[in-house]
Amino acid sequence: MTTRERCMNILHYKDTDRIPAVHFGYWRELLDEWARQGHITPEMAKAAVRDNSPEQRELDKIIGWDCNWYNTVGTNNGLSPRFKREVLETFPDGTQRVLTSNGVIERIKPGVVSIPSEDDYLLKDREAFETLFKPKMQYSPERVNTEALKKFNETRATDIPIGIHVGSVMGHIRDITTVMGMSYLIYDEDEELFSEIVDTYAEMQYKCVEAALATGAQFDFGHYWEDICYKSGPLLSPEIFDELCRKHYKKRNDLLHKHGIDIISLDCDGVTEKLIPTWLETGVNVLFPIEIGTWGDQFEPARKKYGKEILGVGGMDKTAFRKDKQAVDVEIERIKRLFDLGGFIPCPDHRLMPGSKFELVQYYAEEIKNIRI
Amino acid sequence: MSILVEICENLQKGKAKIVKELVTQAVEQGINPEQILNEGLLAGMNIVGEKFKNNEIYVPEVLVAARAMNMGVQIIKPLLAAEGVKATGKVCIGTVQGDLHDIGKNLVKMMMEGKGLEVVDLGTDVSPETFVQTAIEQNCQVICCSALLTTTMSVMEEVVKKAEEAGIRDKVKIMIGGAPVSEEYCKKIGADVYTVDAASAADAAVEFCK
Repeated sequence: MTTRERCMNILHYKDTDRIPAVHFGYWRELLDEWARQGHITPEMAKAAVRDNSPEQRELDKIIGWDCNWYNTVGTNNGLSPRFKREVLETFPDGTQRVLTSNGVIERIKPGVVSIPSEDDYLLKDREAFETLFKPKMQYSPERVNTEALKKFNETRATDIPIGIHVGSVMGHIRDITTVMGMSYLIYDEDEELFSEIVDTYAEMQYKCVEAALATGAQFDFGHYWEDICYKSGPLLSPEIFDELCRKHYKKRNDLLHKHGIDIISLDCDGVTEKLIPTWLETGVNVLFPIEIGTWGDQFEPARKKYGKEILGVGGMDKTAFRKDKQAVDVEIERIKRLFDLGGFIPCPDHRLMPGSKFELVQYYAEEIKNIRI
Repeated sequence: MSILVEICENLQKGKAKIVKELVTQAVEQGINPEQILNEGLLAGMNIVGEKFKNNEIYVPEVLVAARAMNMGVQIIKPLLAAEGVKATGKVCIGTVQGDLHDIGKNLVKMMMEGKGLEVVDLGTDVSPETFVQTAIEQNCQVICCSALLTTTMSVMEEVVKKAEEAGIRDKVKIMIGGAPVSEEYCKKIGADVYTVDAASAADAAVEFCK
């Protein structure tokens, strides 16, 4: 059996010979750390951060992973052209205020990485939308590499699952408006404008997916990126989320279904529980990465509530890799029980972070493959 | 409907401009500023805080309500000072060194102000020494540390140590919060309290300042 067959069988409740060792990539700082420790070369550390690059697949082999779930083919479905990155101000300690490609002003300090720290944003009102952003949210054929997609079925790796990245209904908008801007527009300043922003962006993304699928390229699954939840739940009310997003998920997922894609996963960090109804009722059926370690998100309650319709990839507490073999063993026992529920592929619950021990990651990847079903 | 009830209700909806107008009207009508603060602005913010704690509303609703409260408070602040209305306690707050994220910190700050506390905002990337020095110089009863990153939360332990070294540990309570922080971590580093959300943080600070 190939990893592709294993994964697809599990998500369709069919038999498999073993659990696939699936991961979700690495933070750059971890790869640098592993290079300093002599586990990998600095060159590999630099290149293997990119999901499913040849170097990452090489690293997968060294560690023992079968594949990275985040293996998707996408289109240019963001702002186009993007804003030109510009340093607006530099402070004595090296901290910079930078205009990003999304039209957001971020504070960046040397040596501080991870989640951006947002200072300000350009998309504040209708004038900014009409003049700066709307032209960048339009569909054009150049957004889709149709020539490459026409050859996709012949050139793709056949041993691992590959998805089509169908974009984001709310996450990209949050990236452009920031959490503050999104909140002010929706609740106080111009709800109608916010709704129009969501609709404009979603329509462009739909057309990108439509054009990609029209090439005949066949994918194993569809995949969204959202990241619209945090420690205590969604970053906006579930009712408003549903009102703004439901129709777009439905339209996009119906298109995927029409092309035979019935596995649709969605990457959302944080505690996702309150948004699951909107996703599940419109066709999104795979929760990913189910961040139990950082945020306490869980798969079992969703399975109990929604039954076998809901599937999962993730749910393994990656923080165990920073501890010891015993902690990893505890995790393996726990996720084995989740695997037994069916329709669930264990995977570290986000990108592996600095401090993860190389030998423990190797140990996990091997152990998970050795579990008898 | 009384104007104070209108202030309270519009604050809950996050209608900043309307709140500002209503507070201005209330002042013009001769309503005591302390009454505007307590029965209009703080009453609204308390309801928002409770709903947030109970997961009935989410971060955006709190952000817009807090902004509305701030706009209202700006109108009456000089009047309150002139009347000698004092804060119920003093807190210094900041995001710890190496971390530039401030949404959570700002939420806590606004919730605390909504409870009548005076908050010294140290901003982001704050060193342990600055937390402790500020607490000493400004007679703060509480130090409040925020972190978003697992890589920066360890600075909180340094704050506790610096407070001990400075001999103020028995005079100042240290509160911690943020995405990667937990009750277990709070106990481990010897801080006084961890709260799961901004509203609970404000409640805890009020208790410490009594």
